[in-house]
Amino acid sequence: MGVTILQQFPIENRTGPATIELLTKRISALGAVQQGHFLVDCETYSSVANLGPPRTVHVLHNSEQPASCFSILDTGTKTIPLAADGLFDLLMLKMNYFYQAKKQTKAESKGPRFEIGDFCVKLGTVTVSQNFKGILVEVEYRPCVVPGMCWELIREFMQGVLGSSVQSNPPPYLATRMQENYTPIDTIHQYLEHFTMFRKSPGMRT
Amino acid sequence: MTDLEQLQTALHSLKVLRSNVGIAFESVSNGLRADHGEDGKENKFILELQELLSTVNNNLRDVEGAVSNLSIPPGPFALGNTIYLSQEVTQERQSLYVQLVNSYKWTDKIRDYSALAGNILASNSVNKTYKTFSTTKRRKTQTSTHNVPPEVIENLITGIDRLFPDVTITASRPFVPNPVIQASLSRVLKAVIAFKGLMIEWVVVKAHSESNDLWTESRYKVFKKVTENCHAAMCHFHSPTMPELAVKSFMHWFHSYNTLFSNPCKRCGNYLYSNLPPTWRDLRTLEPYHEECK
Amino acid sequence: MWESQSAMDSLTSAVRSNIIPNQEYLLQGSILDVYVEVLLHRLRGLCDNVDSGPESFNDHELCFTLRGSNTSPQMAIPLRVRRALDVQDAPWQLRYVGQHELGGRNRPTLVRSSLDVACSNTIVEFLTELGCRIDFEYIARGYMFRKGRMKITVSKIFKMVANKPGESVEPISQSYLVELSVLAPSGQNAIAEDMRIFAEQLKPLVELEKIDYKRLIHVP
Repeated sequence: MGVTILQQFPIENRTGPATIELLTKRISALGAVQQGHFLVDCETYSSVANLGPPRTVHVLHNSEQPASCFSILDTGTKTIPLAADGLFDLLMLKMNYFYQAKKQTKAESKGPRFEIGDFCVKLGTVTVSQNFKGILVEVEYRPCVVPGMCWELIREFMQGVLGSSVQSNPPPYLATRMQENYTPIDTIHQYLEHFTMFRKSPGMRT
Repeated sequence: MTDLEQLQTALHSLKVLRSNVGIAFESVSNGLRADHGEDGKENKFILELQELLSTVNNNLRDVEGAVSNLSIPPGPFALGNTIYLSQEVTQERQSLYVQLVNSYKWTDKIRDYSALAGNILASNSVNKTYKTFSTTKRRKTQTSTHNVPPEVIENLITGIDRLFPDVTITASRPFVPNPVIQASLSRVLKAVIAFKGLMIEWVVVKAHSESNDLWTESRYKVFKKVTENCHAAMCHFHSPTMPELAVKSFMHWFHSYNTLFSNPCKRCGNYLYSNLPPTWRDLRTLEPYHEECK
Repeated sequence: MWESQSAMDSLTSAVRSNIIPNQEYLLQGSILDVYVEVLLHRLRGLCDNVDSGPESFNDHELCFTLRGSNTSPQMAIPLRVRRALDVQDAPWQLRYVGQHELGGRNRPTLVRSSLDVACSNTIVEFLTELGCRIDFEYIARGYMFRKGRMKITVSKIFKMVANKPGESVEPISQSYLVELSVLAPSGQNAIAEDMRIFAEQLKPLVELEKIDYKRLIHVP
């Protein structure tokens, strides 16, 4: 498990599949080899009225950690992350009297997964309840666990693949945690931030 | 009482038999010796062997005789006081349980091992070994770097540990004078270093999440490259006359990898070249270079 | 093209093929402190992990319930969090334990639905903010044995005098709690019979029974 940077790739006036194809071509030209597919999904539950102040639980899965289930509880004032076994989903179902899944909000990012050197690149097509929303590119540098050490290196790599769309600063979520050890839940946090933005944004043509 | 005497005789003749069988086998495995002389040595050897075998034959006859004199014990064996063991239930008075489990395991293991040994020996019984020839070879005299008291190495390792605050060292000693140390370089990487006396014998560089095994290389390309470069540096710094200095210089050089991911190449100014960070450190200036740029 | 199957899909198919261990078969009993050594000795003889000796544990358990302001007690969800005090790096254990079924006379053990989930150490804060209220907490120290799929624990329950575990604790009784349990997918009733036979072997040191909590609560 290494440091992962997630960023949106502008689709400009292309369609989703055309953008994925463009990026696939670019990265294959650099010598990347496709290693299967990946999927990150997110379901959001909100608390019922008689449980007091409203709270939201986001439950996410990442195919990179197939036996785990990640949850992020948002109370409005703070967020509490939780990494658990896959059976946590069943527990969530037990709680459906208190926490109910929001309609039309199931978000997903899925697509091909590439390996190139020690990097792992994932080109994700994002959908919110089956509607296409955009493209998310995930770049992981696996040998390093401290974001502060390898941010510049990852940025250089991303610029090579994605060109000028790469930000010069790390994602806001990571910026405050640059010297901490990176864990899978940090990737989940980044996905949730993007999913939340996509849910608010209007739909796009596919 | 006569029973017991007969048993003693039988055991004694069995011992004699085993000893003479041993002598016969030894003679066979040694083959022709110098004292057989030159002329007719084969005949002399065969005669000697015949003599030995006939002794064995006689001994075997003795054993058979002694065994046939033994009487079969009537009924089950009397176990003496041990039969009361099963009736003793309070735990304080018989702390036998652990010992029983252990001795059971022992016998079980002995059975396994002897079965294995039997198989191996059975398949190799006809091979002759001429050990006498190998002793003529002179052993190489050992150099002083190999053979040093453990305290000296101990001091060296603690010295290195103190020298660099961001290198933490844990040592294990599978073979006493030759420690294997794990040197973690802050949160960047760790190296498993095997010593032979004061000499660095082997280095493997890995990620912190990987095992401390000395024989498997890292799954990451960058650490494989760094391992290769460590081997080069290990040879470069090696000095038979000043072994301590060699280790210290190596560690000093190794320490410069704490910027493995965070410093760009001195020549091309980039972080990456063919998807690897600068994995080479100059041996003198410790500056980072890509392998292709150095 | 191979489509990545979502985690929820694979979980649903696991539920459907009934391979998720969600039923706990349970028998309980107790033994006085003075005789516990004899029981441990007996268990060492009967169980699988004899050569390494009994495995000791020192756990802190917190019991929560999730309920709203006007929900009936039947709807409330009991959740337990357990963590090892002696192994700091071990994951924490979150556990849902449902209503138990006593069953008739011919059912040898208690059966209750149960979900065991290993999780990170943020679980207590997570549950608190989720709306769970803590009912009680205790420390359990003792030994764990196993025999095939069966788990046998012999533990002493302590209450915490100060609110921090490990500081000062006080035993709640002069006896040890003995539990024999198996976590299995539903419908595997054969295991209950194995448990009955095993419990039989511990008599008369300890009588393992189906304990009906409801009866205990309603005692005046």
